[in-house]
Formats: sequence, structure tokens, C-alpha cells
Amino acid sequence: MKEQNIYILGIESSCDDTAASVIHNGKILSNVVATQKIHEAFGGVVPELASRAHQQNIVPVVHQALKKANISKEQLHAIAFTRGPGLMGSLLVGTSFAKSLAYGLDIPLIDVNHMQAHILAHFIDEDGFKKPPFPFLAMTISGGHTQIVRVDSYFKMTVIGETIDDAVGEAFDKSGKILGLGYPAGPEIDRRAKLGNPKAFKFTKPKVDGLNFSFSGFKTAVLYFIQREVKANPNFIAENLNDICASIQYTIIGILIDKLKLATKETGITHIAIGGGVSANSGIRQALKDGEQKFDWTTYVPKFEFTTDNAAMIAIVGYLKYLEGDFALQDVVASARLKI
Amino acid sequence: MNITYSIDQVEAVAKQLISSATSKTLLFYGDMGVGKTTLIKALVKALGSLDNVSSPTFSLVNEYDLDNENIYHFDLYRINDLEEAYNFGIEDYLDSNHWVIIEWPQIIEPILSGDECIINLSIESENKRQLLLK
Repeated sequence: MKEQNIYILGIESSCDDTAASVIHNGKILSNVVATQKIHEAFGGVVPELASRAHQQNIVPVVHQALKKANISKEQLHAIAFTRGPGLMGSLLVGTSFAKSLAYGLDIPLIDVNHMQAHILAHFIDEDGFKKPPFPFLAMTISGGHTQIVRVDSYFKMTVIGETIDDAVGEAFDKSGKILGLGYPAGPEIDRRAKLGNPKAFKFTKPKVDGLNFSFSGFKTAVLYFIQREVKANPNFIAENLNDICASIQYTIIGILIDKLKLATKETGITHIAIGGGVSANSGIRQALKDGEQKFDWTTYVPKFEFTTDNAAMIAIVGYLKYLEGDFALQDVVASARLKI
Repeated sequence: MNITYSIDQVEAVAKQLISSATSKTLLFYGDMGVGKTTLIKALVKALGSLDNVSSPTFSLVNEYDLDNENIYHFDLYRINDLEEAYNFGIEDYLDSNHWVIIEWPQIIEPILSGDECIINLSIESENKRQLLLK
């Protein structure tokens, strides 16, 4: 592959959002998520040809991504799409669309694993953000995932720890629900945690062997604690909300950091890259900074728009696979349970 | 069927539930923290799947393998209306003839056939749960 100017379209439709992104070599030119505005820009909502939201969104979102990147679809070198894991009905929309577009334009089709993409988002060229050297440990923390992966090269990854029940984002959101905060509650807990005392209340950390996580028991512990306290004082939550949030956040971050410490000890790897929506949490960011001081870690957090579900991360994987000539055939099928 | 059980009895309860079930679609009702996912973990294992069962609150559905069929494990906690369920293809799953296990099924009640197994879980004490199968 000697070509200098590679343009790739990435399409992501694994869960709630339909998203598209155009990458030029390693640099993102556009990163679009479907919203009502996109329909307006396209000239109104695409008629109800189909009931499913992704089917209504995909044409306008791709149109918008190309327009923002200021290129025509004829300039594309390949189409990358999320093959899995995710919701089958949602994946099928992106897969079918990507196949048709690649076939129509007669350019390569590239299938992308959504979980690998969360990790490879660190390799997007972005001013002020450094890229981790191999090998490194990637921790993906979000509403749906809690995973530690050993990354030896772009495509040699090994899951060394993951949640056996709830994801960490869910621990935040459901604790918030117990406290009467809106769903999702992660950002609100983070905001209040800054105003409270993290050691005001003590929650037991779950005991899980090795590098796996468990947050289901933690959620139940918060529930029982609140029920007990509210029985004694009906105003308990209102009077202590900041302290409760700080204590919950302190415990959850402690669980994550304990496992990271164990993972660095077991692997001898001290480069740690964080991804997923929970990486926006200010407490986890501070704890990682402290880890740089205390344990000699080097930590990496990508730009926020590349950490949640997005198409830029699909586009960067498309680019990396394009360089290797790793293409999919037209008979590729979506896989709801795709593993790393 | 009406049983009170503690966490260490969950595997036996799961087996009993399978032998009493009259449908392959199981609806799990009960408050947060009552142990729905924990019981479903045991249930999936008792059905013979070796897959790790985790919470589908964000993913909406997790799929697990059996020899010749699948288990679809739903959590509809975070969806807001029936439209969203239609959007991800809930009907395809309900009509699939595979095992379909649903936590927080309230929102899709209007499109259920009425033949599903209904499991109600409630908290008896901190360590005891009550299960009611209809």
C-alpha cells in the first residue's frame, strides 16, 4: 500500500446510536452521531420506510459525515463497519448498508470489532494526545463494559479481566437511581462527589479472584445501606447526598485501581490506556494521575468524543486494517457476540 | 410455585424453575437488588450453557449458546417506551422459539401473548428471597 492519501468511512450501529465518521490517514475529518438536526440538514426526516431508528438514521448520518469531511463518496478507499458485538437488529443495519455501499463503489469492505475499536481509538491522530506504546494495558469502562485487555500489537489483544455481572457504569447509574438521581446518574454523582467526604460512609469492596470485577453486590450493599439509614432518618439522603456520592465514587474507583495495580504487577506492564464513557469521571482521572506518581504508571485517556460509542474509532480501525490489506468479503455477517 | 430461598440455594431453585416452566419465555419481575440477574446466571448454567452471564442493562440483550439453540437475556430497565423495543427488534426475538429471559418486562406487556412464565421476586430479608411462579 504505497498510497499516501487514504480516506475511509466508518459506520457504527451496535447499540443506541447511529454514527458515521470519515478519517484521512490517521486524522478524523468528521465524527457524526444521528440527531434530529441531521434529519433537518438532510431535508426532513426520512420517511417511515422502516420502523427501526437506525434505518431512518443511516443515510442522513453518512451524508453528513461526508459533507463535514468535505469529500465525495467516490473519494473513499474503503468502508469500515461494526460487525459486533451489539444488538443484532442494530448491527444488521450498519452491516447491510456498509456492504451495499462498498459493493456499489467497488472498494474494500472492512469489518471491525467494537471492543477492539474502543482500544484502538487511542491511535487516532489528535493534537495534545499521546499514543500508548506496545505492550500496554487497556481498561474499557462504560455503561456496558468493564474489561482489562493486554494489547501486544494492533490486533493481538487478550482479555485478562472483565466483569462477571454488572458493568462499572451500571454501578454508578443504579446507585444514583437508589438515591433518586436521574438515569444515567454517573455525571451527577461525579459532580456531587467533589463536594463531599469520600470517607464518610464505608462500603465493602466485592471479593473477586484475579482480575475479574463484580459490581452487582456493591449495588445491593448501597441499596441496603440506604434503606437502613432512611428508616432511621427519613431525610438521610437529602442531608448527606454529597457525602454518599463521594463515598460511592471512592469505593468504585478503589475497585478499579486495585485491579489495575494487580494487572500491572502480574504483567509487568505500566502503560495504561483508558477508554469508555466512565473515563470522563474526574475521580478516575485523578486516581490515574496519582498512579503515575505512586506506581510509575504512564496513563492515556483519549479525547472524550472518541471514548463513548462513536464511529471515529471504527474509522481508525478501518485505516489500520486497510494498511494491512485485511478486508472482509461480501458474505461477512454481523455477530452479536463477537469477542476480542 | 412459591419458594423462599437464600443465595446458596439459587442453583437448586434454578433447576426447579426450569422443570416447572410451561414456556420458554420467562418474565422476571422484582425490584433492583432482589437478585434477578443472579438467578438468571444460575438458570443459564442449569440450561447447560457455559457462557458467562453478565447484566444486559446497557446492551439490552446478551446471547448465550446452547447445543442447538440460543438463550436471549434481556434487560429492559433503561428503555423508555415500546417504540424503542420495536426499534431493536423485540418481536423477532419473541417469535424465535429460543429461550427468551426478560428482566423489567413491564414496558412490552402490551405485545406479549400471555402464555409466558411470570416470575416475581421479592426480598424476604437481607439474605432471603421469595419467588412466585405463575
